[in-house]
Amino acid sequence: MSGAVRPDAVVKLAGTAVYGMDLDVPGMLWAALVPAPIAHGRIVSVDLRAARALPGVTVIGADDLARLLGPGERDAERPLFPHEEIVYRNQPIAAVAAPSEAEARAAVALVRVEVDPLPIVADLETRFPEWPGSEADAAPEIAAHVRARHGDVEAEFRGADRVVRETYRTASVHQVALEPHACVAEIRGDVWYVRTSTQSPFGVREDTASLLGIPETSIVVDGTWVGGGFGGKGSSFLEPYALLLARATGRPVRLALGYRDEFRLGRTTLPAVIRMETAVKDGRIRARRVRLLLDVGTSLPGRDFATGYSIGFLLGPYRTEAFEVEGYAVRTHKPPFGPHRAPFAPQCAFAVESHLDHVARELNLDPEEFRASHLWREGDTTPLGQPVGPFGIFAAFERARATARAWRAESPPGHGVGVACGFWSTSTGAGGEVRLRLSGDRLVVHEGSREIGSGSVLGGLTAVACRVTGLPRERVAIEYSDTSKAPFDSGVFGSRTLGALGHAVEEAAVALRRTLAERLGARGQADLSVDRGEIFAEAGGHRASVGSLVTAEERTAGGILAEGRHFASPRAIDESRVLQGSFYAYTDFTGGAHVAEVSVDPATGAVRVERYAAFHDAGVVVDPGAAQAQVEGGVAMGLGAALTEEAIWSEDGRLENAGLLDYRIPTLGEIPPMTVEFLEGFAGAGPFGAKGLGEPPIVPVPATVAIAVREACGAHATELPLSAERVARALKLL
Amino acid sequence: MNSFELVVPETAEEAVAALQALAPGEAAPIAGGTDLLIDVDEGRVAPRRVISLRRLPWKTLDWNAGALTVGSTLPLRSLEEDPQVRVSYPGLYQAVRAVGSVALRHRATLGGNLVRSAPASDLVPVLLSLDAEVDLVGPSGDRRVPVDRFVQASRRTDLRPGELVRSVYLPEARPSAFLWQRVRPSNDISQVAVAVAFSPAQRRWKVAVGGVTPRPTLLPEASDVLGSGRPTSSEVRRASEIAASRAAFVTDRRASEEYRRHLVATLLERAVGSAVNGGRFPA
Repeated sequence: MSGAVRPDAVVKLAGTAVYGMDLDVPGMLWAALVPAPIAHGRIVSVDLRAARALPGVTVIGADDLARLLGPGERDAERPLFPHEEIVYRNQPIAAVAAPSEAEARAAVALVRVEVDPLPIVADLETRFPEWPGSEADAAPEIAAHVRARHGDVEAEFRGADRVVRETYRTASVHQVALEPHACVAEIRGDVWYVRTSTQSPFGVREDTASLLGIPETSIVVDGTWVGGGFGGKGSSFLEPYALLLARATGRPVRLALGYRDEFRLGRTTLPAVIRMETAVKDGRIRARRVRLLLDVGTSLPGRDFATGYSIGFLLGPYRTEAFEVEGYAVRTHKPPFGPHRAPFAPQCAFAVESHLDHVARELNLDPEEFRASHLWREGDTTPLGQPVGPFGIFAAFERARATARAWRAESPPGHGVGVACGFWSTSTGAGGEVRLRLSGDRLVVHEGSREIGSGSVLGGLTAVACRVTGLPRERVAIEYSDTSKAPFDSGVFGSRTLGALGHAVEEAAVALRRTLAERLGARGQADLSVDRGEIFAEAGGHRASVGSLVTAEERTAGGILAEGRHFASPRAIDESRVLQGSFYAYTDFTGGAHVAEVSVDPATGAVRVERYAAFHDAGVVVDPGAAQAQVEGGVAMGLGAALTEEAIWSEDGRLENAGLLDYRIPTLGEIPPMTVEFLEGFAGAGPFGAKGLGEPPIVPVPATVAIAVREACGAHATELPLSAERVARALKLL
Repeated sequence: MNSFELVVPETAEEAVAALQALAPGEAAPIAGGTDLLIDVDEGRVAPRRVISLRRLPWKTLDWNAGALTVGSTLPLRSLEEDPQVRVSYPGLYQAVRAVGSVALRHRATLGGNLVRSAPASDLVPVLLSLDAEVDLVGPSGDRRVPVDRFVQASRRTDLRPGELVRSVYLPEARPSAFLWQRVRPSNDISQVAVAVAFSPAQRRWKVAVGGVTPRPTLLPEASDVLGSGRPTSSEVRRASEIAASRAAFVTDRRASEEYRRHLVATLLERAVGSAVNGGRFPA
């Protein structure tokens, strides 16, 4: 897309793209959620009478669900409103709909909630000052416990020349999508219909059905333009409440969050404590012990995933003969944990890279050479016994090292250059399908997810269709529709769109070319071309306009149809290494290595990133402009997590810095000059060998900055973000 | 956002009258609106009437033998772009540059910054170090109040009902400097801000800090230690120690008290160096 206009640029710049926040339906009511006043307590009473007495106001609470929803079985672990116990501050305890936003707010203020406070679990280390032992499995706060090991870890630790032990701490980070969650719901006859800003219309449908206890087939979800997702819009959130209010009022209902509530209620990544122990002998890593305490808030679904998926990243992309990993998901009185671009991988990479850098320094070894000599190569298997496959992490690391050497040669005193790497898995482990319709002048790609701003749908899928058919971009259109008409797709998450849906597009486009060849009386696949506005097909020496090859019946249904599906291919880990809980196999390995040059103020600890370079294995790059933009955006977001972003929770479970004044994402002033380079030759499972690129670029960033800071001033900061105050403490200035 | 009536008076008298016609809190003057409208949006204030000062002839910059009068509704960006401000009042220039973003400075004003009296204001410490005075117009006539008396506490000033800030008076060009530190360098609130200025007429230093105490404050003890000219390095160190040992430092989510003390000492040393070496320091 270099030099070309992004396909979504014009509608977005002109302001004609309708986002969830923009939805405005005639007769629409404005909804608001009534927030729980404390983080943990037993409900004595919820008095809705005063709010209900307001003219035009409808209020629903826990007692209204049976009446509105019928006898269906609702997800008991995730009640829409708590019956007895409040488990996080601002948990919705009732919902109101009113003729205006101000009236909705006024109604919320009139709801009287009486609660007997209960003690809260606010913080991991307050609850577990010592590491949890085996007795912890019975503790109500332990939501999941996973363990795996391989090799004779004890013997390796006993026989080591040196054992290095460290503890790392990482902060809670928010997705900060520009557009908060927003939807408009209405009941259309038997259909529960909701338009929403989401990464996954089908995911919202499934999740909403489970929360409301009604069949999926009764629910229709239509996506809007999405002002950023970054993981925060992957499942249902506001939709069930808006639908309930629509049901209760018989009117369309808009429910959207203000930005402060987006922080208070949103699904953030929560803090973690990571312990690392490494046994080294003769300059080689002999064994590692890695332990994770992950705050998952009130999360219930995905609690195994949170630990079992994250924990693989804690071993890093390194050869590890003997290891032991253990992770606890700890339930606290915070809102539900949620995915944030490459969930938890940047935090894990920060700990792994900083730790192995530190180990090498402790042993007077070259930290980069030490890591490089242990990096995965093609043919290796992961610690959990999964083949790594074609993966350019070592090549990327070597490019990054070369760049670092060049930068070091010219960087002034007070500057430091750091190198770190990180990996991710392209989640082609979620399926989806597409439909292609070819008419005389146009190819339509019909799919079930929306462009969320990453370019993976409008840029990526279009590029795949163009590449397979040979048609120019202006002849290919992406068509969306609601879940009642669209082909199924799992959603735009996990860096999967290009790999999974792109694969489906490729399959469908090949099928289309075969059909055309058949109709031309030839074998193989027809070639397509455009001549004076008409699409022509050619095969076996025969050529005809597509218009003439479309049957009369097909003409009534939009043209020649071809379908493609992507099925998740099951991957395996070596289960004999798993002792407890669920571990997850990764799919296509992807990732890269980064270089940062930073300056550190030696008297204040303030860090400034001066320049940055990113080297990525993205398989085969399908859309170079979009690929570069993904890396730049991922790095920018990672710099926030590295230096300034931190949701701060008080001891009573209150988010102290809800909103963009005190939760600081980088501005353009904090984004350094950046170069991006792709290493090709490591084909992935996506179309033409593509790999996903939405998430990998954020993974190495905090680690890269942390190591650069250490290079600059010697400060070994073990807690994210690397605020000036933390660096000052690491420098013993305080 | 709640709705309000917008009034756009042509003269100071009309503006004062429009303000006076309603009870305090019911009417709010607006210049750049960069702070007021956030409060309105978040429901902290709900004025029935908003009085725009945009037609008043107050977007001025008047020089008089080194003294400078800054009209209260002059956008900060104009102050920043004036080459003489940069030379005569380097501390003011540096502080203005520290406020928000360029886009914000095209709207925000010195008068607004003063009347809003935010505890973390970057401009108030500099105005304190420059002995700035506030010119007010009001129902009972004009008066002039030193900034140190005008700014009383967070969100509280000496402004009386019906009064408006017309201009800010800076009595003399001073070698000066303003340094800050923030969680995020761009577009953020300062954890610590330090302003220093040397008065050639009085031959004494003025040191003020912001972001540290509930209200930006002059530190006379630290100022006195700096002496009556170029301070020695031990005097600078002593002044830093005194500044850092002040009692009323706050701890909040932007920084701990301990780190703020450390920053005050560090930035004060640097600021004095910058003021002394920034040119035009009297012999």
